[in-house]
Amino acid sequence: MSFTEWIFLLGGLAVVGPVIAHLLAKPRYRRLPFTMLRFLRTGQVESQSRRKLRDLLILLLRCAIIVLIAMLFARPLLHIRLKPSESRSVHCLGLDNSMSMAYSNGSGSYFDKLVDSAVDYIRSAQDDALFNICALASGDWMQGLGKEQALAEVKALKIEPGSANVTDFLSGLSRAGRVEHSGDEVSVLVLSDFTPNTLRQFINVVEPAAINRIDYEPIISSKPVNNAAIADAHVVGLADGKLTINAFVVNYGQVRQNRLLIARAGANRSAPIDINLSANQRNIYQVQLDVGAAGRQPSFLPVELSLSDGDGLSVDDIFYLAVSIPGHEDINILLAGEGENQMFLLKTAMDTLSRTSSYDVLRIKQVSMSELAATDMDWANVVVCSAITDRLVDLALDIESFVKAGGRFVCFVTEAVAPGVAKQLWQHDILAALPGKCINERTYIQPKPTDSRAPGVDHIAARSLSNYRIDKVVLKGCLECEPHPDARLLWQLQNGFGLVYLKSLGSGTSILVNTSVDDSLGSLTKSNASVAFCRYLLGESHQIDEYCFTRDERIVLPMSGRDRIFAGQEQIWIETCDGANHRAVVADSSVLVPDPAGIGWVKTLGKPTIYAGINLPQGETDMTKPVAAELAGVMSRVFATGAERDVSEAGVYRDKKNRPLWKIFAWTLILLLLAEPAVAIRLKR
Amino acid sequence: MDLVARCAVEGFFAGLHPSPFHGFSVEYSDHREYHAGDELKFVDWKVFGRSDKLYIKQFQQETNTTAYILLDSSKSMSFAGAGAVSKMDYGSYLAAALSYLMLSQSDSTALILFAERVIKHIPPRSRRTHLNIILTALQYNRPAGQTNLAGVLHTIAETTKRRGIVILISDLLDDEADIFKGLAHLKFLKHDVIVFHTMDHQELNLDYEGLIQFEDLETKARMRAFPQSLREGYRKRVSEFLDNIEKTAGNSGIDYCLLDTSEPLDRALVAYLAKRKRMM
Repeated sequence: MSFTEWIFLLGGLAVVGPVIAHLLAKPRYRRLPFTMLRFLRTGQVESQSRRKLRDLLILLLRCAIIVLIAMLFARPLLHIRLKPSESRSVHCLGLDNSMSMAYSNGSGSYFDKLVDSAVDYIRSAQDDALFNICALASGDWMQGLGKEQALAEVKALKIEPGSANVTDFLSGLSRAGRVEHSGDEVSVLVLSDFTPNTLRQFINVVEPAAINRIDYEPIISSKPVNNAAIADAHVVGLADGKLTINAFVVNYGQVRQNRLLIARAGANRSAPIDINLSANQRNIYQVQLDVGAAGRQPSFLPVELSLSDGDGLSVDDIFYLAVSIPGHEDINILLAGEGENQMFLLKTAMDTLSRTSSYDVLRIKQVSMSELAATDMDWANVVVCSAITDRLVDLALDIESFVKAGGRFVCFVTEAVAPGVAKQLWQHDILAALPGKCINERTYIQPKPTDSRAPGVDHIAARSLSNYRIDKVVLKGCLECEPHPDARLLWQLQNGFGLVYLKSLGSGTSILVNTSVDDSLGSLTKSNASVAFCRYLLGESHQIDEYCFTRDERIVLPMSGRDRIFAGQEQIWIETCDGANHRAVVADSSVLVPDPAGIGWVKTLGKPTIYAGINLPQGETDMTKPVAAELAGVMSRVFATGAERDVSEAGVYRDKKNRPLWKIFAWTLILLLLAEPAVAIRLKR
Repeated sequence: MDLVARCAVEGFFAGLHPSPFHGFSVEYSDHREYHAGDELKFVDWKVFGRSDKLYIKQFQQETNTTAYILLDSSKSMSFAGAGAVSKMDYGSYLAAALSYLMLSQSDSTALILFAERVIKHIPPRSRRTHLNIILTALQYNRPAGQTNLAGVLHTIAETTKRRGIVILISDLLDDEADIFKGLAHLKFLKHDVIVFHTMDHQELNLDYEGLIQFEDLETKARMRAFPQSLREGYRKRVSEFLDNIEKTAGNSGIDYCLLDTSEPLDRALVAYLAKRKRMM
């Protein structure tokens, strides 16, 4: 017997405790004056010896319990030396049931060949042989099988929509090896198509597995590989109700591909595009899908890109791409400046922003501050004022109504702010902060907003602003502002004063930027940060999102905008690729999807429906045949046979069989724990 | 003490003791012929007038016995088991009750308190005021010393001149043979001997639990034991001890009464006296 964690045996020294306690402890008794001691005396010797026996028995029991606990933690192993006659043939089969094995060259699929080869191998083995079978795609081990059981398991094996996992196979092989003994003849058979992805995993193995014999068979076609796949796809843009998608198509085989590429979204489908790819050629094709009204309103489109039939592996001919369309929205921006040129730089930044926006349409209108009228606010979604002037006081009620109705009011402050004017706007709750006295000292802006995830501003722009080294921009001065009780300070200057204050009013937003347009934003424009800063001020942008994953990835659906309806729920129901319903955990602002159970669509149940496309891992679509010499070298390195077995740690086959004894120890311990109080009570009588 | 004695006796026992002696008292018993030396005041002159012969009137003396109450006052009598009443208290109440009873019937009553030797000896008197002396002695009596019952009984036998009723109240924790030698000595002197054997309930049953260090009240000997493991043998031995005493007392013509201090005193007393009346 040996112990895996022998250090815990030191815990057995704890028996010293009860022994010392036994030696030192004096029995607790009470004194009692009595008269008839002569009638007690005859039983005294018996009583004392009984008490000593009881104490000794209880001490032994308790010591045994402590020793057993220590031994249990030390994980005892019993070495059973087996007779040579007890040696058996043990066969470990690694069968590749990944998706690439579905490849068919017209005379049956690779997987069918794999099953046939495995069946032949098992039938040719000795009758008393043991079989351990590992399905490489799922990593499941079926161990200790007899011949008939192994045949049944192989025939019941199915293709899994994922990649082969060699690591699981080898670690399981090592584990299985530890419970066998040296008398066993351990053979390994690996049946796979050895795609570049699978072969790479074998190459990356560091510790070889020690076995007696290795057999492997590359399940490949003698004909040239005929396989093309859509490896990736992305949305380029949405214009005039047409969704433009770039599809990345690869010819993994040696056969020239003349196929058709079609995109479908419900009943809508794109015009077929001809794909012409020579051997091992890859290309990007642009598909335009008419999505109609769905492109003008918030919607979720499950788009399937598919290649027409014509190769040996059809499962990689379809690409699942979920597209989230936030809804088309034009943003009317009214720029009100005191002078004609005052808003020039800001307008330039806005124009640049409108050109770079892939989805939103920004319409910009510039007016003089003195000409600013209430009717302008009926048109605008965003009103940007270069300064706080008397005109704003005249329009205070209109501005208040505009903001409460959902408008965005952005107000810069200049050096000269009339205190009375600002106070009146403050009283109408329009201003997010009340400008005070001017601080005429040079200062810098903090590198990035204090709270980049604050509601009311664009998060992506907030994060990207830190890339512009905006902290190098020098400001000539700033105003000492008193924030409104309901306002949030989003961005600070390095001298401690606020740069951007934001306040919600009704369903709209009011923003106050503590710096003049000419001085600071001019400087910002020169630093190229103006576009991102404008995007930051305009609020959350409307972008097309794609939810597209591979089978091996962890699927996390980010919830943005309207999808935040799920926020507050701990779990939601989802439908996985196999059509089954499961619970998915909602954490922070995302939905954590469990195993998607295949290739296809995962979608949330209920409204709104969020789709996610689950696609084949790219490695599974590459059907390039392995080079025989390279494969032989890799396999001989990964599986050490003969003399190499003795120095290997991956599979240590000893001449003894190690049987874990923890169960016996655990049961004994439980029995002793139960017996201890019973014995103690019984002996006290 | 007086109250306890009254309550235990009043209304139950008056007149229960017809005297075995014949004397000259108020109740007529018989006539006999006059002999020289008889007092002339007892001559029945009416009979002399009718028959011209001198006859002396004889009267049955109603109460003229002497009771010797012997109360064991050794340290072992201070034992009080589960209850609040010690054997000493119980014995004192019993002695008081018997004294009250005796003196109520004009019996001469003596009280002898003893341990290793006689501690106090109150000589027999039949006056009602004698009760106060007895009760005072009982009240101030404190248990002390070891038991030497046999020696004390011999001493008393030798010093009592007039035969009467000897009432021994004790736990009899002494050598049994010696005790009965002492009692036989009394019996030999024609005393009517009654033994009230007072025992505590715990002494009879040993109903203790847990580890206990027993300390002998008289010898200070110690013994540590689990009483639950000794109980069976103890009860057996105690039972044998009691049986032996009862048997020996019966053979010697000694009245024996075992009193459990957990039982009310009057109940024990009534039971015993009723039994004694039936015997007479």
